[in-house]
Amino acid sequence: MKDREEVMDNVATHENWKTCFAALAPGLVLFARQWVRSGADAEDIVQEAFVRFWRQNRDVANRGLLYATVRTVALDLIRKDSRRARREAEAYSDIVQTVEPQFGGDDETQRLLVGAINRLPHEQREVLVMKIWNDLTFLEIGEGLGISQNTAASRYRYALVALRKDLMPQ
Amino acid sequence: MNDFSDIENELRALRPRPPSPALLESVTRELDGLQTPVAREDTILRPDRFRPGWLSLGLGLAAAAALFLLARIDFPVAPRVPPALAGTTPKPLPAAQLLPAQFIPAGATRVVYGRQDEGLVFPGGSTSPVRRVRSRGRETLQWHNPGTGASLRVSYPSEEVQFIPVAGQ
Repeated sequence: MKDREEVMDNVATHENWKTCFAALAPGLVLFARQWVRSGADAEDIVQEAFVRFWRQNRDVANRGLLYATVRTVALDLIRKDSRRARREAEAYSDIVQTVEPQFGGDDETQRLLVGAINRLPHEQREVLVMKIWNDLTFLEIGEGLGISQNTAASRYRYALVALRKDLMPQ
Repeated sequence: MNDFSDIENELRALRPRPPSPALLESVTRELDGLQTPVAREDTILRPDRFRPGWLSLGLGLAAAAALFLLARIDFPVAPRVPPALAGTTPKPLPAAQLLPAQFIPAGATRVVYGRQDEGLVFPGGSTSPVRRVRSRGRETLQWHNPGTGASLRVSYPSEEVQFIPVAGQ
């Protein structure tokens, strides 16, 4: 965590954008993956969003804006393709679990946890992804999603409660 | 959030898979282009652009010469104003069409304030006497510009000498 903060402190220059991108890319792709089915689409979104963001801002001090850019690009991509929009609309439903974050590790506990994450409501899952795997504050999450930080904190709490309940032995 | 530290730790133990190397390459292509922009072909100023193009230069000079000749030809131009008919009085121009400096005569007065009979004289070796009467007065001429409403008045003293023949009795 401390290393990540140091990276975030040092990446706000044009010269080391690669360091910045290397640190943020896995979480960004995971975040973008919520709106698309394939990892390739998610990477396309991240590429376009990061390049657009970097050209306009040249630093990552405003991380909320970076994630908002990713979200905007993802939603634009969905709107452009009606077939994709229908497909993603189905993916948003909590019944059809076609959208799932990609994680490393294959042990049984982790598979159960990933399954529980996939069953979360979309608005809780995106807050969870931003908080856990992108280290955003609730303020930054609120800025990225256009909600208050209290709402972001509430959704995060609801997500954890739901996960615990889902993983609890019957 | 301490109540959820256990599940938070479990979640953080899940590591997202790293993106493909192609993603980094694509972003590098775009952002490195931003850092050191590659000059496009149409933005490169090559030395041959500054070499004179003889064909273009010749065509340009020919066009300039043709333009000069056309400008020098004295084309007959029909008179725009029809000739005035003899015997007709030119219509007075409306006030609006008068030039600001165009004055028209408005009046002339002559005031005689003194007349003196200087007696009989024989001018020029004449054998018949004439009476010489000298009149002194002031003449005033006035002009008016209807366009601007300005008026001009010139006044000057005048002296007139009259020779009145005297009939012999």
